[in-house]
Formats: sequence, C-alpha cells, structure tokens
Amino acid sequence: MLERFLPPLNDHNLPYPDTIHPIVVHFVIAMVLFAVLCDFIGYFSHNIKLFEVSWWNLFFATISIFIAIIFGQIEAGLAEPYDVVENTLNLHTILGWSLSGIISAITGWRYIIRSKNPKELPIAFLFVGILLSGLVCTQVYLGDLLVWIYGLHTVPVIDAVKEGVL
Amino acid sequence: MNPELIKQLGDQLGINGLPYAIPIHPNLVHLTLGLFIVAIGFDIVGALFPLEKPLFKFLAIPATRSNFFDVGWYNMLAAAVITFFTATFGFYEMLLAQPPTNTKSAWGIEAMNTMLWHGLGGMLILFLIVLMTLWRGFQRFYWRKDASRQVQWLYLLAGLLIFALMFAQGTLGAQLAAEFGVHINADRLLRSGQNPNVFLK
Repeated sequence: MLERFLPPLNDHNLPYPDTIHPIVVHFVIAMVLFAVLCDFIGYFSHNIKLFEVSWWNLFFATISIFIAIIFGQIEAGLAEPYDVVENTLNLHTILGWSLSGIISAITGWRYIIRSKNPKELPIAFLFVGILLSGLVCTQVYLGDLLVWIYGLHTVPVIDAVKEGVL
Repeated sequence: MNPELIKQLGDQLGINGLPYAIPIHPNLVHLTLGLFIVAIGFDIVGALFPLEKPLFKFLAIPATRSNFFDVGWYNMLAAAVITFFTATFGFYEMLLAQPPTNTKSAWGIEAMNTMLWHGLGGMLILFLIVLMTLWRGFQRFYWRKDASRQVQWLYLLAGLLIFALMFAQGTLGAQLAAEFGVHINADRLLRSGQNPNVFLK
C-alpha cells in the first residue's frame, strides 16, 4: 500500500539511499542529554548561562523528536521485521511516541519556569531530567537492538527476507 | 582484522565480534554530530538574529541574542570533549571488524578501503572539531568579546563545510554497518548460514 506512493525501493528496502531516522535522533539524544548535563552544572556552579543553553537544547530536541517519529514510522513500516524482532520494534514504537509527549510536556514546563524567572531552576526539574535521560537511554538501547542485533534495513537481512530465509 | 589474529582473543568475543553486546562507537556518534551541528546551527541563528527577532516575538518566546552564542560555544566545547571518545571507540571496534571480502558498497568501494577512509575521516574530523573549538574560544573570549555578532562569517562557513565532510563520513560508517554488516549479529549469523530467528530468541 505504502509502496504505491514511494519511489522504487533499494537493497535496504528504502526509497532513499540510507536510513534517515538514526540521523534525526542525533538531535533528540544529544540535545536531551546535554540539556540535563547543563542543568546540573548550571545548578551547582550557579552559572545561569547554562540554563539558557539547556532550554534551547531542549527546545530543539522537542522539534526534532516529531521529525524522528515521522521517519521512524516510515522506516518501521518498510523494515520487514521477522518473528523475533516484533516485540522490540513494538516497544521502540510505543516508547518513541510516548517520549514525544513527555519531552513536549517537560519543555512546556521549562518554558513556564523560564518565563517566570530564567535565573533559577527548581530542583524538581533536575529530577525530571534524570528520569527523562533514563527513558531516552532506554529508547536508544531498543533502537540499538533493532540495528545491531536484528540488522533491520541492512542488506544481508533484506536479502534473506527476499530469498524467504527470514 | 585478519581472522587468525581475531582467533587469539579466543572466546572473549560475542556473535557480533565484540566483547560487549552493543557497539559503543555509533552511540557516541549521536553526541558528536548532534552537538557539533547544533553548535553551528545556533551560531547561525545568533548571527542572523536581527532577521528572526519578529518570529520569536510572534511565538512569544523570549530570546536574547547572546544566549544563542552561549549555545554555540558550550555545544562546540562538549562536541570536542566527547569526540575523543567517539574516535577511540571507533578505532577499537574497527580493529575487531571482519567484513565480507566479496562485496562492494553502494559507492562501489570494498570494505577495506571503506574502513581506511572512515578511519582517516574520523581523525580529520576530530582534528577539525578541536580546531573549531579553539577558533570559537578565541572569538568568544578575545577577538569578538564585545561584538554583537560573536562569530565570524568564515567560521560559520567552515562549519557548513565540515557538515559536508560529516555527511560523507557518516555514509561510509552507515555502509560499514548496513551493507558490510560489521558488528551486526543478524548479518553475521546469516553469513555463517544460521537463522537469526533461531539464534536471537
């Protein structure tokens, strides 16, 4: 069904040369983790510039995660997940969509904090930052399994699917 | 690496050819690229700030020009620190790589040359990121300390050129994984004639 609207698929089963989702997620993973790091250093060193660095990184992560999801859905739809992969792909999908809501909510909260007083950060926000980092790392791990254990969108796996081996 | 040499490690390596379950280098790459690209991106936003002012006002997001340059500086500094680890793990994992010898990438390059170019590219990019961080530091703390636009246009241009280099480098790395199957369990199982559905349960 989806194939009708896409250019012909290559040997990665993609309508473009390489997977794009793992590139877009740079800007969620790196920005969230760095934002949390800046909050911590800023909080304990009283360097309020770092609060601004954190806010803009979070802001950028929030935009990026929606783009990551769009490409994630396209590439998941074309992934040809074989039996043992399905569970992990489902979990990665659920956590990915959930993270879009969670990161948006946290960035919204940060917007309010920053609008009231950009020079101070409640300690509760630091805790939420740790939780968020935990969720992001879990999501990275699940994505890692899809690529490095199961080899989704790699040429050998797509070949095996086409030959009926998988 | 020569399979006879890999054998010297005995049973220390898993199905993926590494002594641990998931490659570390590609995860650090997220940080290197994310931090570097956003650093240059926010310096560009800062440099063009007069044009964007109405947009931020319209979105009701308070924005101060100097804060964009703070992001440009701190993100670049973090990119420089983390990239030493990215490159180190890259070389470690490349030394343990055993790609197939009978295939070529989408760019028509065999595995050995792909690895050599990716290794050289990595060293070059590490060097350039450190250089950019120093350049950025001089602009921030000495040359343009009191300028409203903290970065030189030439610095931003250099950043964009490095994006292009990173694109080529990233594609070579992606090809090592998704075409040559380096350190990927399923691909290595398939190559040795085993079924991932059975072995990866």
